[in-house]
Amino acid sequence: MSLGKLLERLLQLLPVLLGVSLIVFVMMTLTPGDPVQIMIGDQSVTAEQEAALRRDLGLDRPIHERFFVFLGNAVQGDFGQSFYHRRPVSDVIAERLPATIELSLVALLVALVTSIPLGVLAAIRKNSFLDRIATVGSLLGVSLPGFWFGILLLLLFAVNLHWLPVSGRIGYSSEIAPITHFLLIDTLLRGRPDAFLDALSHIILPAITLGLPMTAILMRVTRTSMLEVLRQDYVTFAEAKGLSRRRILFRHALKNALIPTVSVAAIETGSLLGGNMIVETVFGWPGLGRLVVESIFLRNYPLVQAAVLFYAVTYVLLNFIADILYTVLNPRVRL
Amino acid sequence: MSAGVATAPRAADSIFRQNLRNFAGNRLAVASAVVVLLFVLIAVFAPLIAPHNPNETDLFLRLQPPAWLPGGDWSYPLGCDALGRDILSRIIYGTRISIFIGAAVILVATTIGILAGLAAGYLRGWVDVVISRVVDILLGFPYLIFAIGLMAMMGPGLLNIILALAYKEWVIPCRVVRGETLATRELEYVEAARALGASRGHIMMREILPNILSPVIVVSTIRMAHVIILEASLSFLGLGVQPPTASWGSMVADGRAFMLEAWWVSTFPGLAILLLVLAINVASQGLRDAFDPRFQE
Amino acid sequence: MSETLLSVRDLRTVFETRAGMVRAVDGVDVEVRRGECLGVVGESGSGKSVTFASVMGLVRSPGRVEGGEIVFDGRDLRALNPRQMRAVRGRDIAMTMQDALTALNPALTVGEQLAEVLEAHDDTLDARGGGRARAIRERSVEMLGLVGIPSADKRLGQYPHEFSGGMRQRIMIAIALACRPKLLIADEPTTALDVTIQAQVLELISDIRRKLQMSVVLITHDLGIVAEHCDRVMVMYAGQVVEEGPTAQVIGAPRHPYTRGLLGSIPRLSLRGQPIRPIEGQVPDLIDLPPQCRFYSRCSERVDACLKPIAMREAAPGHRARCIHVAEQQP
Repeated sequence: MSLGKLLERLLQLLPVLLGVSLIVFVMMTLTPGDPVQIMIGDQSVTAEQEAALRRDLGLDRPIHERFFVFLGNAVQGDFGQSFYHRRPVSDVIAERLPATIELSLVALLVALVTSIPLGVLAAIRKNSFLDRIATVGSLLGVSLPGFWFGILLLLLFAVNLHWLPVSGRIGYSSEIAPITHFLLIDTLLRGRPDAFLDALSHIILPAITLGLPMTAILMRVTRTSMLEVLRQDYVTFAEAKGLSRRRILFRHALKNALIPTVSVAAIETGSLLGGNMIVETVFGWPGLGRLVVESIFLRNYPLVQAAVLFYAVTYVLLNFIADILYTVLNPRVRL
Repeated sequence: MSAGVATAPRAADSIFRQNLRNFAGNRLAVASAVVVLLFVLIAVFAPLIAPHNPNETDLFLRLQPPAWLPGGDWSYPLGCDALGRDILSRIIYGTRISIFIGAAVILVATTIGILAGLAAGYLRGWVDVVISRVVDILLGFPYLIFAIGLMAMMGPGLLNIILALAYKEWVIPCRVVRGETLATRELEYVEAARALGASRGHIMMREILPNILSPVIVVSTIRMAHVIILEASLSFLGLGVQPPTASWGSMVADGRAFMLEAWWVSTFPGLAILLLVLAINVASQGLRDAFDPRFQE
Repeated sequence: MSETLLSVRDLRTVFETRAGMVRAVDGVDVEVRRGECLGVVGESGSGKSVTFASVMGLVRSPGRVEGGEIVFDGRDLRALNPRQMRAVRGRDIAMTMQDALTALNPALTVGEQLAEVLEAHDDTLDARGGGRARAIRERSVEMLGLVGIPSADKRLGQYPHEFSGGMRQRIMIAIALACRPKLLIADEPTTALDVTIQAQVLELISDIRRKLQMSVVLITHDLGIVAEHCDRVMVMYAGQVVEEGPTAQVIGAPRHPYTRGLLGSIPRLSLRGQPIRPIEGQVPDLIDLPPQCRFYSRCSERVDACLKPIAMREAAPGHRARCIHVAEQQP
């Protein structure tokens, strides 16, 4: 894909991003409850002080002006003050982000390493016992409500068996000074394998819960595309060449079969973002998702607004990457 | 040419029957459809079936275990929650919420989606541009986050949940209908109707719609499972129906605090969600296999 | 060394489907001599492709070879284990497919697809160790040159979609011939090509056949191609051989009504002024075939005696047909 085409596709994202920001802005503007009143709470202030605050927040201006101010600030990463934390929203989000990203990446990893081999095996041994198990498993995977599955895992592995911790990101005794803010990396950088294992034991259940629907979907996609590829003429031709079964499967079939898997994986990574709110709530994971849920109940709207926008922009970008990946991986498609 | 107008719907009708026979041949899918029907019956006749008032609290029954465990009692088969409410009765009443919201969202979204999709696909031009842009923008939000944002804005409540989910859900049938309409609008029988001077409304609703309904129905049933999980997720987060109304999602949330001493409070409502969603998924997959030739092996 | 390279006796290949057992190949005999080109003709579904897929051991589930004997170069192929069979495929017997666009892997470079077949049958290479990679590359360039692809050295790193249709077909042939097989099975090598390129590709195959002294089985539904390129021809219908013999005899004096029908339905071989007559009726369902002449329902010369199994009858030395009228004409 040429650079020009890439830029053209990036430009096409702009109207979508603009529309997304508009919706987020409208959503929060129409939210009942006056932000000034929420900020003031039960402190006693004069009418002048209230008006000054309103002016400071720009709430006295007409709504279209406020949208452009919001947009301009958003582009610069300024989302105003978090009422609750009394700090800039962007700082609060930045603080919580590493935990969410780490959890999402581990969930992605779990999903990839389980779904692809299972999908391939199910396809090679079509209609075998293993294939049936995989089919049932993938149906269960998309039908299980994540919050309930997480609780069941907690019940079994944390409450009953005491193998894994109930909540949080790491134990008190394992806390270390941050470097990258990704605990699985920092613990190793600081030379604390014990802390690494502790962090790992905290992340494993949330990651499995978060990754489960994705595992189910990717397994189905891999199985279907592998079956499709194995029917292709080029696989027959490879067999006619007398190649080994391994080479046919891995070099000829898998390379083509994984094209849809990879692009669906990129799209589904976006869906992990939505699942974060649920999983972080169930497992007491100190990430952005839980912060958003808490903020809704605290009526901390600037933070909710910024987070929803952040999620949406990330989602749009991931879909874009999925598109590009599909093009890059597939030498036939020239867009 | 005019014969084409007359025969097309009849051909579609016989294909429909053939597909229905295909579906009936899939035993697992039929069994799942029966399970779904059972849930619908439970929802409709909840007051007759439920052994207790779902909201009646009794602190003497606090966290009473299921009947088969020590301390259990068969008049409260699945035990009681932290307020001493009968879990079975609450699950039975919770069926109403899940099925009502699922059906309402799908109904609203499919209606809007069909109208928007037909308009975009048949009228083309600026109508198509506007609708497709809106669709693109809505697709830019992760579903749950969009719904959470809307619920934060609108506040809790049954109607608000339905709206919050339908605002985004209509995009899915809309895309299906638009695609199918684009593929159908140039077909002979549509051309024939046009040549005979049929109005645009007549062509869209009478000529095109009946022939593209199968994929829309299939997609809608598959989506209903998603919507039920989404509603349960919102209720779990406390953004759905408000207490004391029984909803499966909020019942699971209620039980979290008592995981140590009373596993049954969370477990049974979750099981109900799983069973209903699984049944819908299997049944709709059967529908898809039977109705969409692209999936027939 | 015997004159016969491939000898197939009473081959039966079946496909188990929900509707029943499809007898795709039902008692077929084939003989391919060293250095000759055998044409195999028939409609789609006549079993011509399945016959040779059976020879190569490439029949896929739900199909399987149910019976018969396949002897290639003195070896019984049906007795070989999968590993031994892999060593035969690509090295001793090679195959090209109808459409190179689908037969070449879109995600691998042409060079890799050529090299891997050399790699798999490495006893065809002299050099070992460090020189091996170079030897494989040299051999790849040589093969592309042989099929007429200019500046082959540079094109090894390109993907199939970067070549034209005719070039792709040549590349597929180069891959098939890379290990100098004794037998090439060319399945409809020209169907996917433009008419102008068809002739070039067929000329190329004939050329290389003479150069490498290999045998070729040319599967086609085009009797014109057979007339031009094949020494002998075999006509298949509904899973059976209905006529075989030297090309000139079969085309000049066809003995089976089906062959005559085929010739009648080809515009350029029919006599001027004579209308083209497509054969009426349809190929019978290969499930639950009655034990009678399979062409019975479509035949204009049918008699009651055709309602029993018909064996092949010798019409002339080396020319045989599965028709009851053969004996009457040539006792």
